[in-house]
Amino acid sequence: MANAFVAAFEILSFGAIIVLIVLGLGIIASMMGIFNFAQGEFVLLGAYITYLAYAKGLPIWAGMVAAPFLVGGLGFVLEALIIRRFYAAPIVAMLGTYALGLIIRESVRGLIGGFYLTVPEPIGGSIDIGAMHISAWRFTIIVITLLVMAGCYLLLSRTSFGLRMRATLENPSLARASGISTPLMYGATFAFGSALAGLAGALIVPVFSLYADLGLRFLIQGFVAVMVGGVGSFIGPVAGAGVIGTLSAALPWIMAPVVADVLVFVLAIVFIKFRPQGLIAGKGV
Amino acid sequence: MPKAMGAVKQAVPAEIGGERDAAIAGRRAAGQAAPTRKSLPIVEGFVLAAALLAPLLLQDYLTVFATRVIILALFALSFDLVWGYAGIMSFGQALFFGSAGYGVALLARDLDITNIFLVLPAGTLIGLAFALLLGGFLLLGRHPSSVIFVSLGTLTGSYAADRLARGWYYLGGQNGIPSIAPMSLGSYEFTEGPAFYYLVLGILVVVYLLCRFLVRSQFGLALAGLRENEQRIAFFGYKAQHLKAIIFTIGGAIAGLAGSLYAFHEGFVWPNMVGVVVSTQVVLYVLFGGSGTLIGAVIGAVIVEGVSFWLSDNYRDIWPIILGLLLLLVILFRPLGLISFVLGERERVGSFRAKPKDNVKEKRNAP
Repeated sequence: MANAFVAAFEILSFGAIIVLIVLGLGIIASMMGIFNFAQGEFVLLGAYITYLAYAKGLPIWAGMVAAPFLVGGLGFVLEALIIRRFYAAPIVAMLGTYALGLIIRESVRGLIGGFYLTVPEPIGGSIDIGAMHISAWRFTIIVITLLVMAGCYLLLSRTSFGLRMRATLENPSLARASGISTPLMYGATFAFGSALAGLAGALIVPVFSLYADLGLRFLIQGFVAVMVGGVGSFIGPVAGAGVIGTLSAALPWIMAPVVADVLVFVLAIVFIKFRPQGLIAGKGV
Repeated sequence: MPKAMGAVKQAVPAEIGGERDAAIAGRRAAGQAAPTRKSLPIVEGFVLAAALLAPLLLQDYLTVFATRVIILALFALSFDLVWGYAGIMSFGQALFFGSAGYGVALLARDLDITNIFLVLPAGTLIGLAFALLLGGFLLLGRHPSSVIFVSLGTLTGSYAADRLARGWYYLGGQNGIPSIAPMSLGSYEFTEGPAFYYLVLGILVVVYLLCRFLVRSQFGLALAGLRENEQRIAFFGYKAQHLKAIIFTIGGAIAGLAGSLYAFHEGFVWPNMVGVVVSTQVVLYVLFGGSGTLIGAVIGAVIVEGVSFWLSDNYRDIWPIILGLLLLLVILFRPLGLISFVLGERERVGSFRAKPKDNVKEKRNAP
């Protein structure tokens, strides 16, 4: 019983991490039609900013709060300077963002070297329920993920900003005719997506420690999750992330980890092949 | 884009003349057709001459490096065929390269088969089989697959193979398979050096000529059409998905050939060889050199590897950053790659033996 509970918690917390990382990727892919290969590096930057704050003697949570804003700002600038030129061609966008990601990743590698740097958990210790102990920080990540998910959903479905964003997605020319500045909306969306990646990086760095290939590890999982969930809505990628995260955390409990690792990808690709629209089809929130 | 094309026109006005989709060549280009000077054969001849002379001029350790570059150029050729001509973004080309490498390494390790006439065809077949499986699955089917799906599918395939190779004890796990016996022909063993270099160069030239013939045939013309406007080609009655699967499989076979040569040249295989790192590496070569020209892929591989080798002594750490910046600049300002400085649009696409004038007229009369 206790073991099953611990397993369930592990699966849940890994699923939450994947959801957190995929949120930004999914918003950019759904709202702008771009698969952002630099998303993993935005995660890495978020982690690096948190580490910097820690290394400078600032409280860790200060770094975690600063990370989404800084990474979001960088995303806004990059969108205006570079990404904007890629909208017409999705493949070129992939290559261009890959080049961007390469620059960011190698710069960070140059700064931290080939090391694995650890950042302590801001909320240490464990929560005890009877004889079971679960990590307090992982629990916090789950809570924050739920809050962020709810916040994004409300932002997109209930605010005028979200309405304008969706209008821009569905019919850019009509949106422009209605007086919405579509370039600004694209910039804001990209910045928002990057900020979410920065937040994800900041939150997961105590769990995974900081190394240059941190973002790359999650990038392909993230892409697969977005495709499984379905591009075009907010809910789709989140659902996909839930499925992929749960599967990748759950399968190693019942089979050899190597097989499980590969099986998740094979299952996902086969699923997308036969249901290209993903789990949740259609536009909307 | 129009700005970049303008620059090309100024540099080589005689080369531009084909009437092409406005998005690519610009409408103004039409009518200037009278290319008499061909720069493609000149570039090809120059590259071949340089490649033939290289071992005579280079020191021994540089010949070994040059051999590696030639093998990677062969690999780049396979990607150029798939992306540059058919417009299939294969982000997992290393899957075929690496799996063939692993295949021949296992042949050499477990069965003691190192005969060149057995291992190279075996590697080619392995690449072909994997490409047929993956390409058939991703590309064929009732509904045509989206470009995004194919590119992410191949990327995922390559990543999954990397993870599998890392975790599978039989394949050597993280360390791969070290100290593979050298490739042999009778009692002669191919070790690193000029002999290996000329062998690889010979293979590259043969494969290059085959590819050149292929892309200038009717089949190649259909492929170029696919890249430019898939729907139109489908309306003409071509089975677009089949064409794509065929070229993808051919590309896989060439990648397999390159992979088996690479495994024997380096003497070991390791998980990176099937993974995302090498997959993106080959994309870099082709983008730098210029996709859709064949020779561009070769030049790209030589330049990227050469500069990387030259800089790696002093600037090892910042080289990847420079590479990223250069790549970004090429994508933004020179989407056709470095080769577009000397090669015009007409030659890039090929005029398919018709005289340029007739060609234009024919197209105008076409319904």
